[in-house]
Amino acid sequence: MKMQEYVLRTNQLSKTYKGHRALDKVNLSIRKGSIYGFIGQNGAGKSTLIRLVTGLAFPTKGSIELFGASEEKALIQARKRIGSIIESPALFPHMTASENLEANRILRGIPGKECVPRMLEQVGLQGTGKKITKNFSLGMKQRLGLAIALLGDPEFLILDEPTNGLDPMGVVEMRELLKQLNRELGMTILISSHILSELHLMASHYGIIHRGQLLEQFTAAELDGKCQQYIYIKVSDPGKAAAVIQNELGTTDFEVMQDGAIKLYGHMEQPSKISSVLFTAGLEIEKFTPMGEDLESYFSKRIGVDSHV
Amino acid sequence: MYNLIRVELFKLHKNRSFWTLLIALAVLSLAYPLLYYFDHRSSGEPQFTGAGFLITFITSNAYVMKVGVAFLAGFFISNEYSTGIMKTIASSGNTRGQLYAAKLTVFAIGAMLISLVFPIVSTLEVTLLSGFGHFPEGNTLFFIPRVLGLTLLYTAAYASIGALFTVVLTDSGKTIGFLMIFFLLIDSVLAGLGSKVEFIGTLYDYSIFKLVGEVAKPHIHSGDLPALLLVPLLTIALTAILGIFIFRRKDIK
Repeated sequence: MKMQEYVLRTNQLSKTYKGHRALDKVNLSIRKGSIYGFIGQNGAGKSTLIRLVTGLAFPTKGSIELFGASEEKALIQARKRIGSIIESPALFPHMTASENLEANRILRGIPGKECVPRMLEQVGLQGTGKKITKNFSLGMKQRLGLAIALLGDPEFLILDEPTNGLDPMGVVEMRELLKQLNRELGMTILISSHILSELHLMASHYGIIHRGQLLEQFTAAELDGKCQQYIYIKVSDPGKAAAVIQNELGTTDFEVMQDGAIKLYGHMEQPSKISSVLFTAGLEIEKFTPMGEDLESYFSKRIGVDSHV
Repeated sequence: MYNLIRVELFKLHKNRSFWTLLIALAVLSLAYPLLYYFDHRSSGEPQFTGAGFLITFITSNAYVMKVGVAFLAGFFISNEYSTGIMKTIASSGNTRGQLYAAKLTVFAIGAMLISLVFPIVSTLEVTLLSGFGHFPEGNTLFFIPRVLGLTLLYTAAYASIGALFTVVLTDSGKTIGFLMIFFLLIDSVLAGLGSKVEFIGTLYDYSIFKLVGEVAKPHIHSGDLPALLLVPLLTIALTAILGIFIFRRKDIK
């Protein structure tokens, strides 16, 4: 694999804060053009890694390679190609949305003021006029933060919890915008989010971090393979159905849930046989649907806890 | 670097605290001479002229300079840590040295503008009320550019110390409080210690904290001028180097 195909690679990246290992020998790689969903519980090390990549903190050990650059000066230069929202949108509270964008435009040396109204329109903030950002809702601040991050069409966008505070429509709009930017501009995107269902709808690659260690990286296609498929069955008598499945299908690879529903693993290619067996046994079938585990359940299983990303 | 200076100037221009400070100082600078004017008029004492007022009250401007630096350091620099702006700046693809230098430059410009308000506004007002008059014997019109020039230089030196502490304190309240106490007490502390320890005494004699008192002197001996110019310049250089050194190693939260 050529070096240029990766936008970001870390090598044995470690960060220690007062004896606490926030990151431990992380080898993460993000391919150009991908949407990378970065998953981990609070305090797992997501923000620490992002802070190291964006130059807000310095590694205790290991190295970072951005756009193929790993030497200090080249790395600083490479950061000009990044747009980011880190932890929360950084805004001047007494400036308007336009003024915030203008300050960031000057900071990054982006020529021409025309990008300011264009970015405001892109995130739906064109009507905010003289309202200062101190009086913005959290959702509006997130949108403005995204507009700032997108100034100058960066090649690599890093978003730490970008959907925080957005209403459901805002979440959908942001997802569509990010997918559009990825599709049309080939923008590489790193998103850390607690909303795994949302990540599942857009990420092409994933990385799971837990207690400072990168447990696993995989593609969306690989995730589909990892997520176990099952048939969700709801019948009038779950106990009898369990016995029928065991005796007639000769399998114990199923679970009876608390609500009486049955998750039957495997046998995905035999739905008519299963329904026929249940029907013949005199069971009334209320629901019979092929389903698969999602990212959230896979993540929970992978880190060995029930929930709470 | 050019963009960094431009954006800092843009931020200073949009900074409400900076304008509030400037306007409040301008109002006080207008009110202060008026008190004397009406007091002298009712008591029949001769009025201050512009030149007389400048020579008499320019020494007090050192307090304005120190308070201005403390407030601006808190609201212009430290505030950027709490709002998260420092994260955007630090991740913008510029070296920490460039970022610090740009911020210090514009911060010093802001502080210098504040330090000019009292001498300029008050002197102009008194001149309008009672005329400019004449400088006492031995003083020439060169006194004005000299005193204003040195005021600017010493303000920049105080600003460089203020900027250094913002890197360490990173909270506007703490910065303002600490700098106010530091600037107001350092003079007495160094003078006190200097009377007991010779080295500290010498250090104090050649520090901006002592020499700032010389800025408004009607007569400066030509032999004293090099120290008066070099000390603030060296202070700026040393504190800027130290500030960059610390900022380069600092994790921005």
